[in-house]
This record gives sequence, structure tokens and C-alpha cells, in this order.
Amino acid sequence: MVAMSDWVELNIGPHHPSTHGVLRLKARVEGEMVREVEPVIGYLHRNAEKLCENTFFCDNIIYFDRMDYVGAPGMEVGYLEAAEKLLGVFPPERAVWIRTIMAELSRIASHLIWLAAFGLELGMLTPFFYCFDLRESILTIFVEASGSRLLTNYCSIGGVYQDFNEKITDEVEKFVQDAPKKVEEINSLFIKNDIFISRNKGIGVLDKNVAIEYGVTGHMLRASGVEYDVRKAEPYLAYSKVNFEIPTSTKGDNLARYLVRIEEIRQSIKIISQSIKKLPEGPFFNPKAKKSMMIRLRGDGEVYARTESSKGEFGVYIVGDGGVKPYRVRVRSPSLRNLSVMRELGRNVMIADLVSILGTTDLVFGEIDR
Amino acid sequence: MSLLSRTYSIFSILGYYASTFITYLIDSIILLLVAAVAIILTIYFFRKYMARVQLRIGPNRVGKYGTLQLIADALKLMGKESILPRLRDDLPYKVAPILVFTGLMIAFSLLPYGSFFWIGDVFISNSGVGIILLFAVLAIMPIGELLAGISSHNKYSLTGALRSVAKDISFEVPMMISVLAIVVMASARTPESLNIASVVSSEILPYGILQPLGLFVFYIGMIARASYSPFDMGESESELVSGYSTEYSGMRFGLFYVGMFGTILLGSFIVSLFYLGGYNGPYQWNLGLIYLLIKAVVVIVISFTVWLTMPRIRIDKFVNLGWKYLFPISVINLILAGFLTLYLGW
Amino acid sequence: MEVKEPGRKIPLVGSLEGIMTVFKHSLMKPVTVQYPEEKEYTPDRFRFRIFLKLDDCVGCTLCEQVCPNKSIKMETVKRENPRNKRMIYPDVNFGTCTVCRNCEEICPTDAIYLTHVFETSRTKNSFLYSPEELSKPEDEVVK
Repeated sequence: MVAMSDWVELNIGPHHPSTHGVLRLKARVEGEMVREVEPVIGYLHRNAEKLCENTFFCDNIIYFDRMDYVGAPGMEVGYLEAAEKLLGVFPPERAVWIRTIMAELSRIASHLIWLAAFGLELGMLTPFFYCFDLRESILTIFVEASGSRLLTNYCSIGGVYQDFNEKITDEVEKFVQDAPKKVEEINSLFIKNDIFISRNKGIGVLDKNVAIEYGVTGHMLRASGVEYDVRKAEPYLAYSKVNFEIPTSTKGDNLARYLVRIEEIRQSIKIISQSIKKLPEGPFFNPKAKKSMMIRLRGDGEVYARTESSKGEFGVYIVGDGGVKPYRVRVRSPSLRNLSVMRELGRNVMIADLVSILGTTDLVFGEIDR
Repeated sequence: MSLLSRTYSIFSILGYYASTFITYLIDSIILLLVAAVAIILTIYFFRKYMARVQLRIGPNRVGKYGTLQLIADALKLMGKESILPRLRDDLPYKVAPILVFTGLMIAFSLLPYGSFFWIGDVFISNSGVGIILLFAVLAIMPIGELLAGISSHNKYSLTGALRSVAKDISFEVPMMISVLAIVVMASARTPESLNIASVVSSEILPYGILQPLGLFVFYIGMIARASYSPFDMGESESELVSGYSTEYSGMRFGLFYVGMFGTILLGSFIVSLFYLGGYNGPYQWNLGLIYLLIKAVVVIVISFTVWLTMPRIRIDKFVNLGWKYLFPISVINLILAGFLTLYLGW
Repeated sequence: MEVKEPGRKIPLVGSLEGIMTVFKHSLMKPVTVQYPEEKEYTPDRFRFRIFLKLDDCVGCTLCEQVCPNKSIKMETVKRENPRNKRMIYPDVNFGTCTVCRNCEEICPTDAIYLTHVFETSRTKNSFLYSPEELSKPEDEVVK
């Protein structure tokens, strides 16, 4: 055993190809082995929670877009769940279904980005572009519906920005038909590869109890054997009316996390295909929140709403003091909790494994630093 | 007649020593230029092929179909400031890229390239121990990588260099044993079994068919020698930024880059010479070079596809692979080759 | 539902399948759009550049209030307009604009609206558009 003073401190990040975003990992290495790792965050801090206190309820959506910038509509849904409860303005039935479709599309978009980056971290150059090719069809739906590709600002208080028209529903139906084949193709590039399996099987095992202690949610918790998904545990939007399953695994390693995520993509496609069939006719906007009323909505009291974002349980806590602006907004971000187990996972692994563990954690820094 | 003897006959009036010197000088310069152009074409082809595989178009702005892109890139690299780390070990830091490049170019000069119409046989040196020379020269390149890694005074570089060394010791031995199997087979057919040209001409049936295991081991060795994915642990981009070449910029980095693609080209030449019949083809009409090029391009396409598909293997897994799988396989291959030669007389 | 791990297979076969899949893609058509020469289709709802109808603006400052990043500031412009007695009009800083469309939605007279124009690169150091510049087409503003 080498003494601790012989360990070399290796900074992985903040400028490093594999820490997508600006994570800094202070790793103490002994040769190839990482003995200790300490994540350092805060390089992307933009004060989003404080900014939310200075703007109207309707304006805050844009800050939530920027928290998980790879799947923005999912974050908007999370914020609006809380804000609408506080303001007492609820969306009509059609808007609820539209939001469900958008949230699931954004989940797939986010998972595809993760898959692309994960492949790149393992050294696979090509699946990256196939993932982006598939994601492009989702972004086409986003831009068709909301006018923006990335930061959509599509859902608004009391409904959605504009209705789904014929063209968008056609696009969604086309996506639902094409996507499964493409997902399977991308999946086959990963899962059939011997080196991929050897790099991920049994690496970064997260124990069930450790995961629960750290408050880990999302795919990391499910891969460790806890069947917990906010969409089932506390259904919001239209999730109680659609059929889907929660993928779990008892292994808790990188491969389990990967498989859980791939299965989540399949389940999301299933939800979208059901939702687009059940999409009811009717208004897409609550008249109580019509555009001239936008800045006059007042909220009093405090609410906490949780949703299943693409990374895990996303909670929003809003306190209103009866004014047109929130008194306090607080976000429980899933990525931060998922990152916090890095200390446990990054003990006595190799540098290459540290990078692949970091890859399966799927961090988005807009969310962690807020 | 060969390229060498044609050049020699032009300068033969100058006397033996002067004409020999000038002949080799001129042929080396020709080789250097041709090799440089070939490497540039390889890089261009890689970029185009990678783009098409990834549903992109690839370079298409500089020149027709982006053909001048690589020249533009080279000019850019030359024009860039060479940033030197303050705590570097000066001499090895500067020698390392040159060592890699020189090793590569010497290795190119040792190969026979077959005949080409009126030029005749294209080769620079026709050593009697060409195989030993070739692999000795190939062993220079990892020294360049090691020097680069250690002298950069960077933790990433050092780790990358150590990984390179660990990689080299685990694939070189199986690779050399599989080459030995070829020499064993060739020795039954030709008196000069260490001369590359005579080994290639003894291939009535390509050795790749007689020794598929040897081809497998040697090809993996060549991938590892060129250090691209799946065996790019030395400069693994997502882990060690870019490994031993992290601190290099400008043309020094360019030499490493050229060295890598040059090794791919060289490796595909060696594989097609030793295992795929080299410049032997169905019609012996002085088309040897063309056959060799076709075979090399096929090997290059396979290499690039492997590069683009495979994830990076972990270094300890690679050491395992080298000693626990490749080494026994190559020994079995050697025994099989001996058996085939001695008892069946193939 | 428990996800299934892939069973034990013959080594290398799966990798070779992957290599074939990748090779197959080299025969497909590229999906890239060569931007300046060919332009991608922009949907109806695509929005970027803010325009302003000076005659319709009543100077109500609602857009200034609703702008989340305070990109809109009211500015005095000497201009005859019976509906705008205070003679204040919005100017927009595109450097901070997030294209949230709130100003368009809240405007009572539809004076401020967003358009498809998105090629706003310019040599000027700031992205601040004065009310007059907002009312002009983009190619007249770019100097």
C-alpha cells in the first residue's frame, strides 16, 4: 500500500473533453487507479433561483428552460405543476395531453444526448451522429410547435403557447413510427459490442441503500433495484391514463443504468403513441390566464410539486406572498443528487471507469449549478 | 529492372560511390514525397469516409470536393504558434515528434511495392533481413511517444505515455511470433526467408488463408501500433485529453497526427504484403503496385470502420487480452504453421 | 419490469455486426444542410427578430414590464403619434433577448411582433436596436 502522500492529484475538468459541461473532478490517483474523487461544482452558476424572484410567474418559465437545456419542455412542465397549483389556474384537458407529449419527447431528446455523449466517452465516434439524427426529428416537432429548437418556452401558465395543428400531430405520428427502429439500431451498436459490455458490466456498482441514503433518483435509483418513478408514484399530467412500465434492474452497475435508460426511451415512445391517439379536442388555453392577464396573476401560500424529469425527480418549491412575483423559488435538482454519489462510486476505480461512470450518471450542469 | 537500378544507370558515369549515394538520395526524396502525398490522401479519405458514415458531407469548401482541405490544415498548423510548456525537458520534447515521423518514413523505405509498368520494381532498399529491420524500425515510434509523454511534464501526458508502454509490451510479442510463423512457412519455399520481397513472392496461396489466426493477431497488433480506437488508450481523448500529445501544438502536433495516419497506411501495406498476397495478382502484367494498393485500400476501409465503431478498451483489459489470448493464439498459430510446413508441405 | 442483460454470445460476432451496420450508413444520403447555399425550411411559428410598428405603439410599457431579462427599455422618440402621447417606444437589446415571445403576446395593439428573420449578425459592437431600427427591415439596419 502506497502512502496517501504518494497519490497524485489529477484534475479532470473543468476544461476537459469528458465532463460535458463544467464539472471539475479532483481525483487522487495512484497510477491508473483513482483512490478518491471529489466533485467541484459551481462553474455554471447563474443564480436562476434568485432571478425567479424578480420576474413574473409567467416569465420564470424561461429560466427553467435553461436548467435542463437538452430537454427543455420537461422542465417547464415541472415548474408549471407548482406554479399552477399556487395560482389556481389549471390547464384544460387538451393542454394536459399536449404537455404529456412534449414532456415525453423531451425525455427522449435528453436520453439521446446522453447516449451520444456516453458513446463518445467510451470512444465510439459514430453512434453520436445517429443519436443526433434521431434527435433532429424531435427538434423538428419542437420548432414546429413552439418556434424554437432548444429552449422552447412552449408551455405557459394555463395551457400551452399555441395549439397542436394537423402538421405537428403528423410529425409526431411519423416519429412514433420511425423511432423504434432507429433506437434499436443505435442500441445494437452498443449492446452487441463485446468491448462495450466489458467496459460496463460490473463497473460502478451503486448499492440500493447507498442510493436511497444519498437521495438518488431517476435511472440510477431504478437501476439499483428501487421501482420508483414519480409518473407512477404520484401521477401528474395524463400519466395515470396511459399504459407504461417502469424499467428496473437489480445489478446497479453501468450496464444496468444503460439498459434502464434504453428501456425508458421505448416506454416514452409507447406513451407518446398512446397520447397522440387520445388527444382530445377542445381549448388549449385556460381563459383565466389569457394574455392580457399574464402579469396580473397573484399567488399566495407555498406549494411543492414534483415531476419525473429525464434525470430523475425534479421538485419545485414556490412560496408566494400574494404578489405578482414569487417570494421564493427553490429547485430540487435530480442531477445534483446523482452527482453526489460520485464520491462513493469513484473509489478505487480506474481512470477509464471513472469517465464511463460519469457518463452513465448523465449530468446537466444548468440544473446542478442553477 | 527496378526503380533503383534505373536511377543508378543514369548516374553511373560518376563512379561507384557518388552514383550510389545520389541514387539512394534521390530515391529517398521521391519516397518521402510519395509517402507524404499518400498520407495526405489517407487523411482526406478518412475524413470523407468518416463523414459519410456519420451521415455528414465532410470537407467540401477548400478546393473541389475539399481536396485541398488537408493542405490548408497543414498550412494552418505550420502557421500556428508552438506553445512550449515551461517545465518541459527540452531536448526529448523537441526530438519526440521527429523520432515518430522519421521512424515511420524509414519503415516506408523498407517495403517492396511491386512492379509498375515501365518503371519496374519499386523499392528503395532490398535488405536480406528486411523483416527484422522493419520491426526494429517500427519499435522506434513508441520511444517517441514515451519521450513526448515524459518530457511534457503533464500528468495526462505521463499517464498516456505509461499506457502506451503497457500497450506496446503486450501486443509486440504476439505480433512478432505471428510474423515468425510467416518466416517459418516462407523458409520452406525460399532461401531468403527474412527478405520481404522473397517472402511475398513465395506466397502462392496468401498466408492469410493458411494462417487466419496469425492474420487476426497481426491485424490487432497493427491497430494497436497505429493506436486508434479500440486501442487508443495512449491518447484516449475523453479520459486523458489527448494523452502524450497533450502539450504539443503547431507542426509538432502535426507530426504526431501524420505519424498516426502514416502508421495506419503502413500497417495496411504490411498486412496486405504478408497476409493477403501483396503484389501478387491474377495477371502478372507489371501491375503489382496496383494490386498492392487495392489490397491496402480494402484493409484501410476495414480499419477505419473498426475505428469508427469500437469503443476504447481499458488498459488492464488490453494487457489481459495481449498476454492471455493473443500470445497463446500466436503460439498455436506458430505450431500450426510448423506442422503445415513440415508434414503437409504446403 | 426488470430489464434483461444480454446473454453470453460468441465473441466478436456482435462487434462485426456493429461494424457492418456502420459501414451500411456510408451508402446513405447525408443529412447535413449546407447552410448559406441551401436554407432549411423555417416553420410558421419560428420566431426571432422583433419588429415594431411605430404607428401602432401606444407606449403602455407592458412589454418592458413583462420582459424577463429586461432586454426591452422604453426610449423617447420625437415623433408625431396621436395614440402615443408620452412619445416612448421600446428598444430591444438582442444580446440578452431570449425570444420568449412574451412581449408579442402581451402587446394590446400588436405593435411589437416577432418575425422569421434570424440572420442578424452585424459588425456593430452592440445588439441594441433603437425603436426606429426595430421598425426597419434587417438589411437596412445592418451597417
